[in-house]
Amino acid sequence: MSTIWTQKHKPQTLTEIVGNKDAKQQFLTWLKSWSKGIPKKRAAFLHGSPGVGKTVTVETLAKELNMELVEKNASDYRTADAIKRFAGLASQYATLFGGNRLILLDEVDGITGKEDRGGVRELTNILKTTRSPVVLTANNAYNPRFSTIRKYCLIIPFKKPTVREVVSHLKRICAKEGIAADEEALKFIAERSGRDVRSAVNDLQALAQEKKRLVIEDVVWLAGRDRKEVIFDVLRTILYSKDSWEAKKAVSNADVDPDMLFNWIYENTPYHLTDPHDLAKAMNYLALADIYRKRIRTTQYWSLLRYVVDFMSSGVAVARQRTKSSGWIPFRFPEKIRLLSRTKGERALQTSIGMKIRRRCHMSAVRSIKEAMPYLKIIFENNSEMAAGLSKWLDLDEDMIEYLAGNKKQTKTIIAKLA
Amino acid sequence: MSYEMWAEKYRPKSLKAIINQKEIVDRLKSFVKTKNIPHCIFAGPPGTGKTTAALCLAMDLYGKGYREHLMELNASDERGIKIVRETVKTFARTRSIGEIPFKILILDEADNMTSDAQQALRRTMERFTETCRFIMIANYSGKIIEPLQSRCAPFRFSYMSQEDQDRYLRNIIEKEDIKILDEGYDAIFEVSEGDLRKATNTLQAAASMGKVINAETVYSVIGRANPADINEMIKTAMKGDFLEARKKLRDMILKYGVAGSDIIKQIHTEIFRSMLPDSWKVTLSEAIGEADFRLVQGADVEVQLSALLARLTEAGQELSRGG
Repeated sequence: MSTIWTQKHKPQTLTEIVGNKDAKQQFLTWLKSWSKGIPKKRAAFLHGSPGVGKTVTVETLAKELNMELVEKNASDYRTADAIKRFAGLASQYATLFGGNRLILLDEVDGITGKEDRGGVRELTNILKTTRSPVVLTANNAYNPRFSTIRKYCLIIPFKKPTVREVVSHLKRICAKEGIAADEEALKFIAERSGRDVRSAVNDLQALAQEKKRLVIEDVVWLAGRDRKEVIFDVLRTILYSKDSWEAKKAVSNADVDPDMLFNWIYENTPYHLTDPHDLAKAMNYLALADIYRKRIRTTQYWSLLRYVVDFMSSGVAVARQRTKSSGWIPFRFPEKIRLLSRTKGERALQTSIGMKIRRRCHMSAVRSIKEAMPYLKIIFENNSEMAAGLSKWLDLDEDMIEYLAGNKKQTKTIIAKLA
Repeated sequence: MSYEMWAEKYRPKSLKAIINQKEIVDRLKSFVKTKNIPHCIFAGPPGTGKTTAALCLAMDLYGKGYREHLMELNASDERGIKIVRETVKTFARTRSIGEIPFKILILDEADNMTSDAQQALRRTMERFTETCRFIMIANYSGKIIEPLQSRCAPFRFSYMSQEDQDRYLRNIIEKEDIKILDEGYDAIFEVSEGDLRKATNTLQAAASMGKVINAETVYSVIGRANPADINEMIKTAMKGDFLEARKKLRDMILKYGVAGSDIIKQIHTEIFRSMLPDSWKVTLSEAIGEADFRLVQGADVEVQLSALLARLTEAGQELSRGG
């Protein structure tokens, strides 16, 4: 399949568009008001960051309301003449067909002073007189360049959707593509995209196309275009060459995020330097590298990075003294990265249980997690009746019950007793 | 069947029902009698009845509708200055309707408040004394700034005796119809160390297993409630299984949220209890001290502690060679 997913999975209805409920409603109301005659503001100005769904909202609504969409975007000419010809034509003709036409001037912040001379002025004229609804989109309607235009427009801000909303959109696509994707992996993509839905969908396609499963290991590569082979080469040199200069060179030349590399070295060193003496030495150097990472973070004195590199490359390389090579050992994905992203979901669930306990037990959510939850777990695993009573008393939902009960079977038993 | 957390269900509802801290309770009762209370600090270890005493005081003072005159804030969850500026002030400034002209604001876990927030509280406490009295609850009163301490009457709560604890538990055991052996009581006191909430939670978890509670049941509850066994991790490292030890460390930090400083402290204690030669103990102590200091400086807990575990593995090997 060569189709681009942003096209293939384009929302078909207004509700399928991620987020921006209010903005969509406002736009719909304005558009519908045209059926009762020309409204006070003849144009709507949708603005917001890239990939928040401005254009797709216009396109989808035009389709839903059965309107003909006439569209111009940044790639077209924007001189006064060009705009006049296009928009003037569109707005005049429109009346003949009963106003059943929507004019979209997409990405108007593409109008540049020089080439599109007079474009803004001409645009203003059209907005004053148009007999069909006109929609403008831009990243920022408050750009001084638009000051004259603004008063003729209904300004509708589009906000970035939440990570959760982006994730649910990605989930829908995965379902259609038959991909079983981990929640954490999708969350990572959504966060990485800066909640830009279009870019998130593009990333998803790049990572998941032709796959049956998508897990966190597949996606962390996004973090810096780091390629596995490069990292594996570096690891091999550090752990086996015994040559401090080679090791240092390998790290410096790798063009891989040093933090990412550190995590790989930290994860794999104990598997390869099995002699306790060697290992203690290597881990000591890694701890030193960590100290310097911390110093860089607090002082922003980046030239200290060279010591981080020294310790995590040469330091580990020279530690190999007694360990004998024992055949091929595969390199492992850093557990630290995996655990962090996995437990994030778990921690969120813990907190929400903590909040429930807090409502009942006169103690903070933080302390509830530490002091009450371990006992609740024991109760939930052992005694479904008591667990059901407590679930009711604390007002727990199914996810929370399952977390405390530890398995699906016990969860079912508890929920059955709740009814 | 209705179930609650027993620690809540059997929490005393009146000062009269509090079984220990006699001197404190007597003074609080006199406050109720005169219908006037000063700002207070209740300090003491967990599970000794601080929050209960504050709630009981309010219930006895205002009677049934006490909720309307009372606000409970938990500084661990809402510790910033914003909460003082907004929530606390709004509550404190408005006059209470009724016989008693002031309201009560309970600030639980107040030692977790930022010092900014505490500073902000200073003025609020003074300005609105007429309309609001504060009860600050803390484990360590030392963590509450001087100026606040000097505005409050201090009350020190102490651990419960076994006699008092047993009496309290026996009441629950009768009402809930549980079977327990005498050794069960002793075991609960041993593990709870006078922390009544921990004792009650342990009792309820033990009871959920549906058998007669003996010492073994109690220990198994405690073992499972504290799966992050630091000693076990140390042993694993010393036996030479560094990878398993590092895995335990990760679980501790990420899953169970054990503080790095707590792990360090226990490693330090264990090293000096161990069979290691004295010279090794000193060498390791140096490494432990260094790691401790690095954590204070904000280094990565897992990386620093696993370097320490690697040293333990090395020491363990040395020990097995020597012995």
